[in-house]
Amino acid sequence: MRELTFREAVVEALDMALERDPRVFLLGEDIGYYGGLFQATQGLLQKYGEDRVMDSPISESAIIGAGIGSAIVGMRPIVEIMNIDFMPVCMDQLVNQAAKMRYMFGGKMKIPLVIRCTCGAGRGGAAHHAQATHGVFMHFPGLKIAVPGTPHDVKGLLFTAIEDENPVLFVEDKMMYNVKGEVPEGYYTVPFGKAAIRHEGEDVTVIATLRMGYRALAVAKEMEEKGIGVEVIDPRTLCPLDKETIINSFKKTGKMVIVDEGNRVGNFGSEVASIIAEEAVDYIQAPILKVTAPHVPVPYSPVLEKFYIPDEERIRQAVYRVLEYA
Amino acid sequence: MAVEVVLPALGLTVEKGTILQWLKREGDVVTKGESLYEVEADKVTTEVESPASGILKKILIPEGVEVPILTVVAVITEEKEELPEKYRTMAVEKPEKKVEPGAPKIQEPSVFLTSGPTEIKAPPAARRLAKERGVDLRAIKGSGPGGAILVKDVESFLIKGMPAGPKVLTTPTARKLAERESIPLSFIKGTGISGRVMKADVMAAKSPPKVSELKPRPPVSKYQLGQVIPMNSIRKVIAKRMAQSKFTAPHIYFYNDVDMEKLFSLREEFLTELEQVHGIRISMNDFFIKATALALLEYPLLNSKVSGEEIHIFPEINIGLAVAMEDGLVVPAIPRADQLSLVEIALYRADLVERARQAKLTIEEMERGTFTISSLAQFDITFFTAILNPPQSGILTLGKVEPKPVVMDGQVVVRKTMRQGLSVDHRIIDGAVAAAFLQSLKKKLENPYTTFVKL
Repeated sequence: MRELTFREAVVEALDMALERDPRVFLLGEDIGYYGGLFQATQGLLQKYGEDRVMDSPISESAIIGAGIGSAIVGMRPIVEIMNIDFMPVCMDQLVNQAAKMRYMFGGKMKIPLVIRCTCGAGRGGAAHHAQATHGVFMHFPGLKIAVPGTPHDVKGLLFTAIEDENPVLFVEDKMMYNVKGEVPEGYYTVPFGKAAIRHEGEDVTVIATLRMGYRALAVAKEMEEKGIGVEVIDPRTLCPLDKETIINSFKKTGKMVIVDEGNRVGNFGSEVASIIAEEAVDYIQAPILKVTAPHVPVPYSPVLEKFYIPDEERIRQAVYRVLEYA
Repeated sequence: MAVEVVLPALGLTVEKGTILQWLKREGDVVTKGESLYEVEADKVTTEVESPASGILKKILIPEGVEVPILTVVAVITEEKEELPEKYRTMAVEKPEKKVEPGAPKIQEPSVFLTSGPTEIKAPPAARRLAKERGVDLRAIKGSGPGGAILVKDVESFLIKGMPAGPKVLTTPTARKLAERESIPLSFIKGTGISGRVMKADVMAAKSPPKVSELKPRPPVSKYQLGQVIPMNSIRKVIAKRMAQSKFTAPHIYFYNDVDMEKLFSLREEFLTELEQVHGIRISMNDFFIKATALALLEYPLLNSKVSGEEIHIFPEINIGLAVAMEDGLVVPAIPRADQLSLVEIALYRADLVERARQAKLTIEEMERGTFTISSLAQFDITFFTAILNPPQSGILTLGKVEPKPVVMDGQVVVRKTMRQGLSVDHRIIDGAVAAAFLQSLKKKLENPYTTFVKL
């Protein structure tokens, strides 16, 4: 199959969405003439014009507010918040308005809004441009959260997000834009709430989000040569979360490592560990370990930033540690 | 009336015992005095007799479980008598307890256990398995981090009734394969990092040997190179005591050569007749035991122990004889050897050695020694040093007897000669005292008629 970069897959999906549905439009900072900070909307303004690909003022609340309003009246807006770090600026619009409105008004309106944003450290973005706070939004009922882990998934999940009648926070790992992978031609969807098993194994379950999936996969392949079976699961969406796949894998292995770039406390992995404790306690054979960023702001120093991001060595160490209970 | 069967006090220093085997099953008819179960404590296995006649109604402590002495391990009732209510809640092996509908499920407190570890580390999966299979986690030795009882420990316990072996580094896949093929992991040479046993290693261990490898080999040790062996309870006791002795008591060593010609001829004279009359063959060791006991009468300081800042001279002279077993070493002692005849010593010695090899000594027999004799004559050892058997302060070592050229009356002659050695605790025994004792012993052995023949 042909290969595209993650970025090319995003552009292709947005292009097709604009092409397929006249209700779809894009709104965000620098997404038009500049083509997006990460070129993920490159060429779309030229192709579809300023009416459908709109550069916005620097006001995150206005961006999401406009998205909510247009979604209510029947459009299919795809808005972009450049970095997930900016989300607190528009927290009210996102978690109080977008996420709650359909519920508060008795289902009188639908909010088919897609909010794209980027996350992740590795480019020297420091404390305001490099966070991975996607897990935080799991806390708010009414939001769906997609965390695509491959070029294939980003395209398929984006179509599912656009077609969903509810607000979807669509988180793209900015360090993945240049990652290549097989991407089918044409239209296809990847369902929400259905995890992908990237690698099968009998001994340890590793849940890994976003680009951590690649790192976990590398460790799994290396472990396989040593005869250790690591099952790597990419949840693909945090909400809805595919608990069934996660628990079934855990029942098989009894050991789990969760890898997520978010800060350690209140991490996505904390929620997974809690689910295991509540729903699969009798299968726990070893401590459930989280491999996360430490509980500090993203450092600007390149040396510290590299140390901050969970790497293969830390995943490997965690796997070995739970294997002490094998 | 229901009668409780308790784990008896097996010796002064024994606190706990492990039930090795129940010789009767629940429901069996038992008679008073009949052996009910086997218990192991320290180094000794003992059969415990039934305290009453009746029906072995309930076994409360299953095999493999270590409990403190005086724990109630079973209940004997009269025929047709119901098991008294209080014992129904005491069984260890009953995982599921009937709980009244609506009543909250509470963990039954461990009424039968008065001491021992209360906190058991075991992940939930291991606990669940143990509960499902009715295994008491306290009986299982954990091999996980911090001694945690892992699922595999429970599985291993269920298969073998034994604690899992020492931690063999292995991949989980290799472990599963090895279990399936019933190959002990400790017998597989690992080729992975740090000797980790890989799947391929198990496969290699599993595949039949090639024809070229089927050369007849000389019989070898039961041990293998690279093998890791868990210490059994005997080995642990030996290790602890040897280290304690060597690092506490400063040892000094003495040797002299003993002319054995006369002792040999004396024994020749006795041997056949005594064997016919008493049915026992007097061994050289019996002479050594007797002579040593007599020498200790003259030098009681060598028959003593250090206790704080006091020297306690033992009230009796009980000569311990080191007996090598297939796996380990025990030192049963002949009591009051100074007062016994050679034949009595021989009878004691034969019985103790025989039971030592069957691991059927009592704690009392092993703990009463006040001085020890160790002989390696059968291994062609010329002489050797020994570590004191605590709390004793002296140990005699015997090398092999062999013809040697010696000078007697200015002539070189060949005499049967033995080199004996003595290790003593230098804290309380000075060199001159030890040397005088050894000299006395030498004289006794070289002049056997005056030593042993008392008319």
